[in-house]
Amino acid sequence: MTPLDILIKYQHALSEGLIVTFRLALIIWTVGIVCGSLVGALSSRWPLAVGFPARTVSFILSGVPVLVFLFWLHYPLQGMLGVVIDPFFTAAATLSIINVFAVSDIIRTVLNEFPQQYLVAAKVCGIEPLQAMLYIQLPIVLRQAIPSVLTLQVNMLQGTLFASLISVGEVFRVAQQINSQIYRPVEIYTALGLLFLCICLPMNGIALWLKSRYTRDFSER
Amino acid sequence: MLKCSDMKKTIGGRRILDSANLTVEAGKLSLLIGPSGSGKSTLLRALALLDLPDSGTISFDGRDYKFPLSDKQAPPKPWPGITAVFQQLFLWPHLTLRQNITLPITLRYREERTEQLNEFIEMFSMKDFIDRYPNEASLGQRQRVALVRAFMLKPEFILLDEITSSLDVEQTAIILSYLQKLKQAGIGILAITHLLHFAEEAADVIYFMDQGTIVEHGDPSILLQPKNERLQKFLSVVKQAS
Repeated sequence: MTPLDILIKYQHALSEGLIVTFRLALIIWTVGIVCGSLVGALSSRWPLAVGFPARTVSFILSGVPVLVFLFWLHYPLQGMLGVVIDPFFTAAATLSIINVFAVSDIIRTVLNEFPQQYLVAAKVCGIEPLQAMLYIQLPIVLRQAIPSVLTLQVNMLQGTLFASLISVGEVFRVAQQINSQIYRPVEIYTALGLLFLCICLPMNGIALWLKSRYTRDFSER
Repeated sequence: MLKCSDMKKTIGGRRILDSANLTVEAGKLSLLIGPSGSGKSTLLRALALLDLPDSGTISFDGRDYKFPLSDKQAPPKPWPGITAVFQQLFLWPHLTLRQNITLPITLRYREERTEQLNEFIEMFSMKDFIDRYPNEASLGQRQRVALVRAFMLKPEFILLDEITSSLDVEQTAIILSYLQKLKQAGIGILAITHLLHFAEEAADVIYFMDQGTIVEHGDPSILLQPKNERLQKFLSVVKQAS
C-alpha cells in the first residue's frame, strides 16, 4: 500500500479530519488577524496603556511551549473553574491567543518603524489625516506586514496538529486512528506530509510572492 | 504676507530659536543663510506651522497666531496655502514619482492637472524617470519631483530647505529661473541656501541667521557690505571655502 493508496482509500475520513483542521484554522486566523491587528495598532498608539501589557503577555507566551499552554488550558484551568469545554474550542482559544499576540507584535513593529515624515510631507501637501492614513500609511504598513503575517498563519495551520493531543478529531488524529487500525506508519505519515505540503506550500508561495512583489527595498540612493 | 515675530523654541534644553523675526512677502524671494546649526530649518518648520514655536506670533492670511495657543484655540492648518520642500524630500516610497506628484492634487482638488504636469515634466527633463519609484531615482531627480509636487499645488507661500543641494548647475539654473516665475505670479518664497552667488543675484531680501536669531537682513547688498561682525565672519569663511 502506497501513500497515494492510503489517501484514496481513507479519503472520506481524511476529508472529515481536514474539515475540522480548516474550521480550527479559520477561527485561529480570523481571531488572530482581526484582534492582533487591533491590539498592534492600539499598542503603537498607546505604548504604555496598551503596548506594555501586550508586550508583557507576548513575552510570557513566547516562553511557554504551545503544548504546555494547550494542556494547561484544557486540564488544570478547566478543573479549577469546574467547567468542561469542548476540546475543539479549547484548541481554538489556545492557538487564537498565541496568534493574536504574534500578529500584534508584527503590526506594532511595522507601525512603530513607519517614518512619520511621510505624513509630514502629506500634511504640507494639504492631504487630510484620514486620507494620509488610507493612501499613504496603510499601503506602506500593509506591504511591510502582510508577508510576515502570512508566514505566521502557515505556522498556525501546522500548529493545529497539537489539537489532536486533546482529542480533537482533526486530520492528524484521523491519521493516528487509521494507523492504529492498519499499522502502516511510514505510508500514513508520508501521505499526511504530502497533504500538508499541498496546503502549506502554495500559502508559503503566496507569502514569498507578496514579499517580492510589494515589500520592495524602499531605501534611497 | 507670512510673518513671524519674536519666535522662540527650545529643544532638549537648548534654545534653537531666540526671538527670531522674519517676513516673507508675496511675490518676493527671501533667502535665509547662516552657518549649520543656526536654526534655519527649525525656523522654516515653525513658519510652515509644522513644529509650533514655544512663544511668538506667526501671521498668515490676515490672521495672527500667538503662541503658545490657548486650550480653546485649534492649531492652524495653513497647508497647502503654505507648503514646504525639505532637504530629505520625503517622497512616498510605494508610489511612482508621477503618482507622488498627482496624489495630493487628486485628493485635495479632485483634479488631474495633466497639462500642467506635462509642462513641468518637459521643463525639468523628467520624462525618462517620472514613472520610476523614488528608490530607483537619483537624489537630483527626486529633488526635482519634490519641487514639482509643491509647485503643482499652487501655494501662496513656498518654503524650501536646501532644495538645490544635489542638482547639477543646469538643473539648478532651471529651478532658480522657475522661482522667478513663481515670484512674478505673486507667490512668496523663502529658501534656505548656501548658494551665495544666487543670493546676490536673485534675492529680494536676505536674512542672515546665527544662534537662533536673525542677526542681519536687507537687500543683497548686505552680502557686499555686511554690517554685522558675525555675517562678515560667515562670508569670509564661505569665500575661503569656495
